[in-house]
Amino acid sequence: MSLSPASGIGRFYKHSAKIIRFVRLGCTNRPFYHIVVMERRKNQHQPVIEQVGSYDPMPNENNERLVALNTERIRFWLGKGAHMSEPAAELLGISGLLPVHPRTYMTAWRNRKAAAEAAALAEAEGSQKAAETA
Amino acid sequence: MLRQLLNPMSVTAVKTGSNDFALEFVRWRRKPRWLPVAKSKVFRVPERKKQTEEERIELMRLHNQYKTQLRSVRQYLREEVIRHQETSTADHIVLTPEQEEAEFQRCLEVNAEWNAKIAGEREVRLAKERDEKVAYVQERLEAGKLREEERRERADERIRFEIEQSKTFVTRANLDEAIEAALANPVDHNFAIDLAGNLYRGRGTQSLNN
Repeated sequence: MSLSPASGIGRFYKHSAKIIRFVRLGCTNRPFYHIVVMERRKNQHQPVIEQVGSYDPMPNENNERLVALNTERIRFWLGKGAHMSEPAAELLGISGLLPVHPRTYMTAWRNRKAAAEAAALAEAEGSQKAAETA
Repeated sequence: MLRQLLNPMSVTAVKTGSNDFALEFVRWRRKPRWLPVAKSKVFRVPERKKQTEEERIELMRLHNQYKTQLRSVRQYLREEVIRHQETSTADHIVLTPEQEEAEFQRCLEVNAEWNAKIAGEREVRLAKERDEKVAYVQERLEAGKLREEERRERADERIRFEIEQSKTFVTRANLDEAIEAALANPVDHNFAIDLAGNLYRGRGTQSLNN
């Protein structure tokens, strides 16, 4: 399947539902996302109306996950009434453009809980070993 | 029969072999839709993700808060877009008639200036081209004249040569004398050659050499 250009040749009706969402590019085991505006009913690999950013979910050598956002156009499209997919809303919340998404909080507390449990388990194992050796 | 086929529940049940007890998703990537569930998976019940009550309440609170905030942000952005559309001159130009006239005059001046400059350059170029053409034609004319002279020279030479030759021509007047002279001096073109390459002209008559 040939790639549709990111420059935005997608056709759209004036009053159709638009959405800001990710388009998965990259390849197997190497995701890369374009953040685009397109008609909500369309498949993600159809031509887009406009590309408003990119997102590289794999941490680079400095342990950073790079995001680029065209905030001016995102504001424009949100003002025009575009919807947002949940991952896109999370990303925009973290970037500070919008309020932080509840799912972000949920992921954070679940991660904290898992880390605490893992630490407790490690501690218990350590004390058990210490008791065995003593 | 048709009614039964069109009933979506029964259709999915037939195609995926699932029951209503365990929800079965269509796994069209891995195996064809019409294959039944594997025997080892028939009685598997997928485990539900557990969500505690306090987490649910907290999430509901956060979602309510988020939706409220997003609604006001959206309203702000909507107003911003409208404001921008009203004040922006990105897609149209707003000018008074005087300004338009002045702009038009300025354009005319620029155009006239440019035309004058181009006209000067064109004059120079055309004059140069004209001179070159004249020089070329002159050169060709001279060359032609020279060629004509040479041709005339060659023709004169030929005529002189022919006149010189015509003194020895055999005419009706001296035909008898010429015949007699030829009969008196027969010429033999035969010759013999020996191994050393010497020529022996004539066969007994007078040869060309002697």
